[in-house]
Amino acid sequence: MNKSWKILAIGILACVLVIALTPYLWILLTSFKGRLDILSPDPRWFFTPTFSNYPEVFLGKDYLPLVLNSLIISISSTVLSIGIGVPAAYVFARTDFAGKEDLFFFFLTTRMAPPISIAVPLFMFFTALGLTDTIYAVVIAHTSFNLSLVVWMMRGFFAEIPREIDEAAMMDGRSKLGAFVRVVVPMAAPGMAATAVLCFILSWNEFLYAFILVAFEGRPLTVGIPGLITPHGTLWGQVAAVAVVATLPILVFTFLVQKHLVRGLTFGAVKG
Amino acid sequence: MGVSFREVTKKFPDGTRALDRLNLEFDQGEFIVLLGPSGSGKTTACRLLAGLETSSEGRIEINGKDITHLPPRMRGIGMVFQNYALYSHKSVFENIAYPLRIRKVGKADIESRVGAIADLLQIGNYLHRKPAQLSGGQAQRVAVARALVWEPTICVMDEPLSNLDALLRLHMRTELSRLYRRLGKTFVFVTHDQEEAMTLATRIAVLRDGKLVQFDEPRTIYREPANRFVAEFMGRPAMNTIEGIVRDGIFRAGDIACPVDRPEGPVTLGIRPEQVELVQAGSEDAITLAVDVRELIEPDTLLIFQTGAGALTVRTQKNCDHIEVGQPVGLRFPREALHYFDASTGERLR
Repeated sequence: MNKSWKILAIGILACVLVIALTPYLWILLTSFKGRLDILSPDPRWFFTPTFSNYPEVFLGKDYLPLVLNSLIISISSTVLSIGIGVPAAYVFARTDFAGKEDLFFFFLTTRMAPPISIAVPLFMFFTALGLTDTIYAVVIAHTSFNLSLVVWMMRGFFAEIPREIDEAAMMDGRSKLGAFVRVVVPMAAPGMAATAVLCFILSWNEFLYAFILVAFEGRPLTVGIPGLITPHGTLWGQVAAVAVVATLPILVFTFLVQKHLVRGLTFGAVKG
Repeated sequence: MGVSFREVTKKFPDGTRALDRLNLEFDQGEFIVLLGPSGSGKTTACRLLAGLETSSEGRIEINGKDITHLPPRMRGIGMVFQNYALYSHKSVFENIAYPLRIRKVGKADIESRVGAIADLLQIGNYLHRKPAQLSGGQAQRVAVARALVWEPTICVMDEPLSNLDALLRLHMRTELSRLYRRLGKTFVFVTHDQEEAMTLATRIAVLRDGKLVQFDEPRTIYREPANRFVAEFMGRPAMNTIEGIVRDGIFRAGDIACPVDRPEGPVTLGIRPEQVELVQAGSEDAITLAVDVRELIEPDTLLIFQTGAGALTVRTQKNCDHIEVGQPVGLRFPREALHYFDASTGERLR
């Protein structure tokens, strides 16, 4: 690559970076702004920072338990999806049975309908079960959409591990299940970590199902944000503070596993 | 006592019959090579023995015990795979130690046994490495060590040398031969390479289309092939087989005419390229043919002739520098070197 191309590439990357980062930077700045700076008609990049938004919303409005709710929901649905989806993906990767590809495709189709179209049936379903307004409803709902993702991604990772590895473990003295649990799963661990992080992110960011299924008890951070739109106006500083806290774990996790994440996604897409 | 396949048939769900009523019996301590072209069922036979596939019909016994439906871990068989199948997340030491760990062998015992087998296979210096840091030859040694460390009664190897480059392959072949003589275990080795089979085996089982064609010592397989298929499969270059007719004690096919001790009628004549003698062109009893292609494979020379009944290959150690393409050359087929096969079935005629 010659020099002018390199400069052009850097220029394009810089533009993309600015476009991608500006909203986040703006939220970050807003969370430290006072009311006047926020509502000022011309955007202000420089202002005297205030640190009152964070304590006001998390302590004053008691939003701290919502962080805990978000964590419980995301972690539980991730653990459930991985626990159910990983063995299923292994079966898809290793065994042949009638209608395998159709069933695999069916898993994918569960994600094709717009979420809103399922929201009302889901609400009625959970009402019948008496689970509405509980954290369990959200966990189950999130598991339902993360499961297809786990099966889809993990099949690719398992397909990458040669069948002979399972067989070698069986020759070495493991049962079929032992070979899967003790040898294949540890070898697929990087892929599983990436998949788990993606599940966590999707669950953590999810708003629609959580909003419909829980009104007060057990609502996660995302559902807490609309509560800051009051009859007296939107509390933009506090909204921004919640948004900043809500994005932090995502940022950290994405940086940790970005390499595996990209590989896992493209793999599933190409090979599945 | 030993291993026996009794009427073993394997049909796959797609309908292919990989093994067709295989009967094979051999003793403990033998080095058995399953040899055949791809699709002959040799790998299936070895996987059935290992327990990685289940037979559709028939039974397999080890020392008189029916193992047909036992899971792999209960058969006492170690296995080496073509692609090594090492656990990439474990060190070489842990790879080799794994069968011992599963069997809950004590720590000190593991150390000494892994050390001993590693020394035997000359991989003692790599024990701390990860499989990704090994060359093909080293990885294959680790795989062999892992298969042998827990002292199984039988070691099964499925084309273990096929992924190695030519030189390393020869080297590993010699090593395996030495290992076999030192350990005295039963080895079952799958290959499509007749040279590997000849050098390693105490007995070779030649398979074709899921059927056992011949089961004999390497020398017998080479000298007395049971049929035309075995004759052409063993030896490089392949045995010349010429379809012709015997009349008045003379075999005739195309430009070839040679005296034979056969009754009248059609027959397939076989002669190995290295057993054809070069004689003066035009001399008595000589078949005179023009050289079509001359190939030098030092120190030997291959001369290929067109006979009007197919090509004829001659391998000679004589200096052929003076022979030009197109030049007529005299050939003689010594009677004791001739093989005869049934013209229709291809079976050996005695």
